[in-house]
Amino acid sequence: MRISTLTMYNQSVTSINRQQGDFLKIGQQIATGRRLLTPADDPQAATKALGVAQSKAVAEQYGDARVGARSALTQQESVLNSISDALVRTKSLMVQAANATLSDADRASIASEMRGVMEMVLGQANATDGNGHYLFGGYRDNSPPFVRDVSGSVVYVGDSNDRQVRIDASRLMEAADSGDGVFLAIQSGAGYVAEADAANSGSATFVGPRVVDSSDPGFGAAYDISFSVVGTDTSYSINGGPPVTYQPGVAVTFGGLSMTFEGVPADGDSLTVDKASQMNTNLFATFEKVIATLETPAQTDAQKASLANTISTSMREFDNSFDNILTVRASSGARLNELDALDLVEENRILNYQQTLSELVDLDYVEAISDYTLRQVGLQAAQKTFVDINKLSLFNLL
Amino acid sequence: MSIFSIGVSGLHTAQIALNTTSNNITNVYTQGYNRELTLLEESGIGGVNVSGVQRQFDYFIASQLNSATSALTGLQNYQTQISQINNLVADSDAGLAPLMQDFFSAIQDLVSAPSDPAARQEVIGTADTLSSQLRSVDNYLQDMQRNVNIQIGDEITQINDTAALIAKLNRDIALATAKTGVPPNSLLNQRDQLVNSLSERVEVRLTIQDGGSYNIAIANGQPLVSGTESFALETIASAGDPNRIVLGYRDSAGNIQELPESLFDGGSLGGLFSFRAETLDKVQNQVGHITVSLAMAVNEQHEMGVDLNGDLGEAFFSIGSPTVFANTKNTGTAVLSAAFTDAAGLTGSDYDLKVSDAASGEFTITRRDGSAPFTLTLDAANQLVFDGLTLTLDDPLVLVDGDRYQLQPTRRVAAGFDNLIGDTARIAAGSGAGSGDNRNALALQDLQSASLVGGRASLNQAYASLVGFVGNQTNIVQVNLTAQEGLTQQIRTMQQSESGVNLDEEATNLIRYQQYYQASAKIIEVGGTLLDTILGLRS
Repeated sequence: MRISTLTMYNQSVTSINRQQGDFLKIGQQIATGRRLLTPADDPQAATKALGVAQSKAVAEQYGDARVGARSALTQQESVLNSISDALVRTKSLMVQAANATLSDADRASIASEMRGVMEMVLGQANATDGNGHYLFGGYRDNSPPFVRDVSGSVVYVGDSNDRQVRIDASRLMEAADSGDGVFLAIQSGAGYVAEADAANSGSATFVGPRVVDSSDPGFGAAYDISFSVVGTDTSYSINGGPPVTYQPGVAVTFGGLSMTFEGVPADGDSLTVDKASQMNTNLFATFEKVIATLETPAQTDAQKASLANTISTSMREFDNSFDNILTVRASSGARLNELDALDLVEENRILNYQQTLSELVDLDYVEAISDYTLRQVGLQAAQKTFVDINKLSLFNLL
Repeated sequence: MSIFSIGVSGLHTAQIALNTTSNNITNVYTQGYNRELTLLEESGIGGVNVSGVQRQFDYFIASQLNSATSALTGLQNYQTQISQINNLVADSDAGLAPLMQDFFSAIQDLVSAPSDPAARQEVIGTADTLSSQLRSVDNYLQDMQRNVNIQIGDEITQINDTAALIAKLNRDIALATAKTGVPPNSLLNQRDQLVNSLSERVEVRLTIQDGGSYNIAIANGQPLVSGTESFALETIASAGDPNRIVLGYRDSAGNIQELPESLFDGGSLGGLFSFRAETLDKVQNQVGHITVSLAMAVNEQHEMGVDLNGDLGEAFFSIGSPTVFANTKNTGTAVLSAAFTDAAGLTGSDYDLKVSDAASGEFTITRRDGSAPFTLTLDAANQLVFDGLTLTLDDPLVLVDGDRYQLQPTRRVAAGFDNLIGDTARIAAGSGAGSGDNRNALALQDLQSASLVGGRASLNQAYASLVGFVGNQTNIVQVNLTAQEGLTQQIRTMQQSESGVNLDEEATNLIRYQQYYQASAKIIEVGGTLLDTILGLRS
């Protein structure tokens, strides 16, 4: 075939161009460290890479969410820790106050210390995070959740929402517990509490109730025990049932519970026995009740009985509130553990994403450098060919 | 016949042959030059005659080369254009994906601290960045649309000029041939070269008339050159979409007729048309589709929440409206306007609407994704509701059968995409329970992985598929281009093998014809010597 001179030049130029293009592309890949310079280089990998990058970004986003949740839960834990200490102190004060030999003045001084403890707990319940947001207000985190109403008793003005944060693709976690769940509630499994009617005028005191048979069909119901005195006969009836003769020190059993009474009840005296969750569950109400009782002088037998009964009831209520706070602490501790566990999982996941991403878009340097050398040789060969072909002209020989 | 005459005929012939060779050598790099051969014949009365100087040209190969050139320049132009989009979406760190991630990551921070002004400011900041970036992508693509329009104008000017030159050459060649009886090679070369450069711009069909005149037609037989006449094409705004420049010709009655874009698929003009229809429109529509899906979903959720002032949330993003063009050839004056109603129903395609029964208000609607046309009748409110869109007709009484409308739902919506929330307090992070309420922010965060785009893909998936589409399309064009380059080079080598000059060959010719000249001169010298011998007899 005839080859025209133009063809020879053109072919050389085309081949040098192509070699140069390939050479530059590898050079660019090496310089950037990326195999994929544009989506056209490998559309499938480019699409996949975007998906993986998104997954990675979302995983990191959950990581940020966990940092926020951890900080909130840690603050809450530190507050609840000091409240627990305060409640331990409260219990020892209660034990002191239960001592029947104390004078009114002694009780007043216990009351005053207890008021101090209560103020401290109230202060902690109104604690804020670093940005001035109240920890226990639920969604209403911009004003103190526990305030005193006109009568001076503490009321909760927050709401019962626990703020949730998405800490993993399919896990919403409560990053905060609302104040009513911590201070106004107790565990539903808490036992029975008995409370003497405030208008009682007799000197009967109670011990218990104790659970003797939780399989009793009446277990779990509320009971109302009322006393009646007719002449010298004192009797009691349960939930308005048939009167039973009252005997001090003898256990009264009903609904799987057992109680013992001492002292002399007056006609019309009554007490309520119910599941603790149905009775007062408000920690601050308990404080207020105990402080009020301790500040009231107890001279008569009836006053002393009322004091003993209130302390006995409140003791149980403090225990229940204390248990509730410990449960909240345990739950936030578990949540903190979960955060740590998720961090570990996520760390591995992010590492995997990174690796996949790298496999999709990053350059294999060993391969690239050997390719680079190869292209260099190719380009040099093309250039050499061009020079050699140009030397071969008949005109050079004329 | 004397020996002198024979010698002179040789001298004369050698001179012509040397001229031809010199001409070949000097034109070795001239574009469109075809090498020439001096044809010799024996003279009937002794000596030699030059029967002609023949141009080495093969019409068959030339027309193959022309059509290969058309395909090549078409792909080259397509590749130049699409590379710009390919580069636009290339950087995975700077594309739209990280900006959408940043926005949702800011929402996540808002979930963690719903009343924190810093977290709220971050949401506004990332929303600003995201919206400005989406607008700038739209702007970039719209610039490309404008450039395509401008380039079509440039191409048409060149095509019309070239066509006029070919018509003029047809006349010149006919005149020259009539005068000398032989067609002038240089003019023929020029004309063939012009046909080749015309092929670079648009695919042409060449027919050769009796008498050697070239007739050239494009796009389904539309004549461009016929003998000594050329017909200019004009750029006009499309009747269906006034923002779109297309080609038209004047019919015998002087009316401009629009030439469908799909008729052009070769040459740089065809490359532009293919790029615009196959890639640019779709990319712009998809960017709009993602934008409107994001805006509507965020707005809808945001409007369900309550802000720090206790007010219901307002629209978070502004967004453009779907575009409807009434065909300029419509005889009725009814105007259709469109609005988005359901983001999940949107398809991202364009639509053609045709009034199929004006009396009942029936439209035939064709979605430009290859699906079958369907009919829809105006409802009581004079509305057509389909694919997440609501079209409202202003006046059904002026609707005329056969009137056409073009609907571009998402083409330009990204241009109107902007963040409307500037005040941190107006972000509706909660559901009304207080400043620490983060329920609406949580719901907003969930939009990141929700199937918002067409009800099938998340925002990121939709963007990934857009990048995949651009990558694939670019890749296909590149592969086709490489193949076409190889093919074209092969045909060009064949054409050069026939018509190209080889300098070595011409060097031998030079020596050959030089010796031929010297030999012919020798004949005359010998003839002189012979004459001298005769004349010397007398002395």
